[in-house]
Amino acid sequence: MIEHCQIARAAEFESLSDFRDFIKTTCAGQAGIDDQTCYDLQLAVDEACTNIITHGYAGMNPGTIILSMEIFSDQVRLTITDFGQPFEPSETPAPDLQAIMEDQEDSGFGLFFIYQTMDDIQYQTSEAGNQLVFIKKLLPGDESQT
Amino acid sequence: MQIEFNTHDTGYIVAIQGSVDALTSPQLTETLNREIQNGHHFLIVDLSQVEFMSSAGLRAILGALKGSRQNGGDLRLAAAQPAVEKVLQISGFTSILKTYPSVEEALESLKH
Repeated sequence: MIEHCQIARAAEFESLSDFRDFIKTTCAGQAGIDDQTCYDLQLAVDEACTNIITHGYAGMNPGTIILSMEIFSDQVRLTITDFGQPFEPSETPAPDLQAIMEDQEDSGFGLFFIYQTMDDIQYQTSEAGNQLVFIKKLLPGDESQT
Repeated sequence: MQIEFNTHDTGYIVAIQGSVDALTSPQLTETLNREIQNGHHFLIVDLSQVEFMSSAGLRAILGALKGSRQNGGDLRLAAAQPAVEKVLQISGFTSILKTYPSVEEALESLKH
């Protein structure tokens, strides 16, 4: 492992920018992680944390979200831990924009973006909390990028 | 997030700066709806200074697109940075609204 960092913040929308800044700072200067890869990581985490804040902690006092980031030579592993209601994500089809515009359905954008940008998604829940793991593979030959 | 406005002969430019996420998108929704209600039915949303946009921001734009078209107008996006442009593409936004590389080209498109 090249690097392992962790941040914990309150489960509220004000924390979203802290998570994005944390990812950007951790990615900076890492070989193989270009701007688009960093953005994909920020987007997936932002959507997941928004769901946790909106649904996982709904009706509860805002708890904590812990974001752990491990960088390996061939992949980035992000683990999001929360202590709200469990919510196992599943792959969703592309949003029907016309139907959304006609107010006929909820968007479903968030999960769609997560599955579009991450290479593997794992979920487990236990007494220790809910853990959502994102794997983003790093393309070989990108080592020169910073 | 900051929002600035600029009136032009052919359209009304709404320039967004910063990040559009679940925290800031309600402000964007409110602002765009207010401008449409104030008679600005042809909107160009300048994304050149938007460094991050999540699905919450897309929902705000989708709502304003609907509002503008219901009033006989349109909403067009301009100058998105590459990562934001990718979000627009994978979500299918580029198939339901028009995007332009620059604000100038978006303004030009409203002349036709």
